[in-house]
Amino acid sequence: MNDRRGALFGFGLSAVGSVGFVIAYWTDAGSRWLGAALSAALLGFGVGLISWSKAIDDGDAVEQRHSLAADDAEVDALSASLSRTSELTDRRSLLAAVGAAVVALGAMIVVPLRSLGPRPKGIGATPWRAGRRLVTSDGRPVDPGRVGADGLLTVYPEGAQQDGNGAVIVVRLPVEQLSRRTIDGGAVDGIVAYSKICTHAGCAVGLFQADSRRPDVIHRLLCPCHQSEFDPADGARPVAGPATRSLAQLPLTVDADGNLVATDGFDRPVGPASWTWP
Amino acid sequence: MSDTRPAPVDVIRSATERTGTTGGLARALDKVFPRHASFLWGEIALYCFVVLLASGTYLALFFDASQAPTTYDGPYGPLQGVEVSHAYASVMRLSFEVRAGLVIRQIHHWAALLFVASIVLHMMRVFFTGAFRKPREINWVLGCTLLLLGLAMGFTGYSLPDDSLSGTGLRIADSVVLSIPVAGEWVSSLLFGGSWPSTIIVSRLFPIHVFVLPLALLGLIGGHLALVWRQKHTQFDGPGRTEDNVVGERVWPGFAMKSIGMLSLTAGTLAALGGFAQINPIWLYGPYDPAASSADAQPDWYIGWLEGALRLMPPLEIRAFGYTVPNPFFPGVLLPGLMFGALYGVPWIERRFTQDHRVHHLLDRPRDAPVRTAIGVAALSVVGVLLLAGAQDVIADTLSVPLATVRRLLQIGLLLVPAASGWFTFRLARSLARRDDPSVVEIRRGDSGGYAERPEASSR
Repeated sequence: MNDRRGALFGFGLSAVGSVGFVIAYWTDAGSRWLGAALSAALLGFGVGLISWSKAIDDGDAVEQRHSLAADDAEVDALSASLSRTSELTDRRSLLAAVGAAVVALGAMIVVPLRSLGPRPKGIGATPWRAGRRLVTSDGRPVDPGRVGADGLLTVYPEGAQQDGNGAVIVVRLPVEQLSRRTIDGGAVDGIVAYSKICTHAGCAVGLFQADSRRPDVIHRLLCPCHQSEFDPADGARPVAGPATRSLAQLPLTVDADGNLVATDGFDRPVGPASWTWP
Repeated sequence: MSDTRPAPVDVIRSATERTGTTGGLARALDKVFPRHASFLWGEIALYCFVVLLASGTYLALFFDASQAPTTYDGPYGPLQGVEVSHAYASVMRLSFEVRAGLVIRQIHHWAALLFVASIVLHMMRVFFTGAFRKPREINWVLGCTLLLLGLAMGFTGYSLPDDSLSGTGLRIADSVVLSIPVAGEWVSSLLFGGSWPSTIIVSRLFPIHVFVLPLALLGLIGGHLALVWRQKHTQFDGPGRTEDNVVGERVWPGFAMKSIGMLSLTAGTLAALGGFAQINPIWLYGPYDPAASSADAQPDWYIGWLEGALRLMPPLEIRAFGYTVPNPFFPGVLLPGLMFGALYGVPWIERRFTQDHRVHHLLDRPRDAPVRTAIGVAALSVVGVLLLAGAQDVIADTLSVPLATVRRLLQIGLLLVPAASGWFTFRLARSLARRDDPSVVEIRRGDSGGYAERPEASSR
């Protein structure tokens, strides 16, 4: 009897919920009301059906299983049908021929997939060239004075700000912390620039871990996706996490107007590596 | 009433006059399904799929799969005037301007999360009870493929809105594709229509997500269910239950009512989640920008273990003869390849060791097969540790522990936890099985000084 009452309650709730949904939709009552009403309509219907089925449940039924395997006569008949090959006078060469034709058909069918994309080239290429200025996202050139300590500036190649591989991070470090090769790689007054595209999986390296209270602590660039860390004082070599390759360094100088400018492009492609990379 | 004939006779007769058959319906309605609650997960997965088809069709009517730029001018203030793709703008319109659009979008996303979750729980039931054994190996393989397709559905689906999170996910996917030896660069170029960033990937993922994968899922689900129907369900041992029968509820009316009731309950639960639990708020993520990735960006849970594997991988790559096998290959291609290879092979791997070629319709309890249970728990704990690693930055942040410490602990955990949990599970399963074994009798010395069998042990 309880199940009967449950069923009545469920179907009643369901009807109320359905009406409620229409009202909520009509009055543009928002996601919560729509969700609540729809949920009541469906949950109520489910409770109703399940309660009803319990009310009429008359206990377990038993069904016998039968062996799935066909009997020997059936198996023999199928086998005989399948091996009905007497009309193939030269089975071997015909099989080879049909096999070759099937392989050729298969190969033919996948060929148009070639249209999906160009021959892979220029993976990780960037618009950076000698003399290209560094600009911020609003297109303004970068005065070295704007690059503060403990901060990270994202800049783009002027005239190609939208390029997906061109983003560069600029940081200022105490000059005495920079390694020889970092200075030779094109640092200006402790300002260094590296590709922002992580060499591990291509995310944008973003976080600059710096502690202004402890300037002796090495600052690190951190990729938020898989937490690879790079040492900007030493050519952005990977120091923790899964990355195996340094972020490419962009050689810098200051132009006649006093703004940061690249003296060359990157010396290698940026972003994640692939098979043909040395 | 004087009419003693059952009511539907005329309808049935009229149908058979036209089709020449009753369609085996009588036998179908008498079919018996076992009642055990653990059998519900497969049903729930199926009903999540039904909800996905219905809600997804609605979403597809509004989605614009173009990455061409446009300026957002909708009601969401913070993004007004921002350049976004048409795909992103259409999902924004669906979320803010289409009445009932947001709730259906959120129902769709929740249904996807629960779809994969219930597939995994269903597979756990099948694995730990040995339901994959002869004659059900084919259905195990179909099930593994359904899991793979479910993952592909999820990933292609949440990549469509072209927001910051999904763009970053695609970027990582591209780095994994690029890492494939020999073919990686070609596959990447064909998939994304050139090198990153791709301007057409959304328009390619759309037909895959709404046509190719659903069609494959429908076909395989049909085959999966047809085999279940043909082979009949397994059942746990119990009074009156044998290898030669199925005990439970008949399809009509009891099981059918309960099952349609489950469909309603599943859909109702998803509706409540869609209404009250915000998910994938793309307006907070913003449109995709290759120069910006945010911290604590998490993929959907079923991709989290792969993300975790990428994070825990030590900095290793192979460079030889002028070629490179980059780091993401090992956690992103090799590891999931091995894991799914092992998963597919379960029925044959077990048979190799047990040499058990018999047909099984009665299920094991997990304790009845301690080695299988231990291996299953160990394998799940691998995925569990990887899933935690997918949130290692959030863990480090929440607990104020250095990230390097969390990473190292998880790397050690990835080696130790499976071994420890496997060993512990084996011991536990074996001792539980022994306790149930009627041939093992525990003798105790009683208070009076005499020896007696422990009553509860001997009564089993």
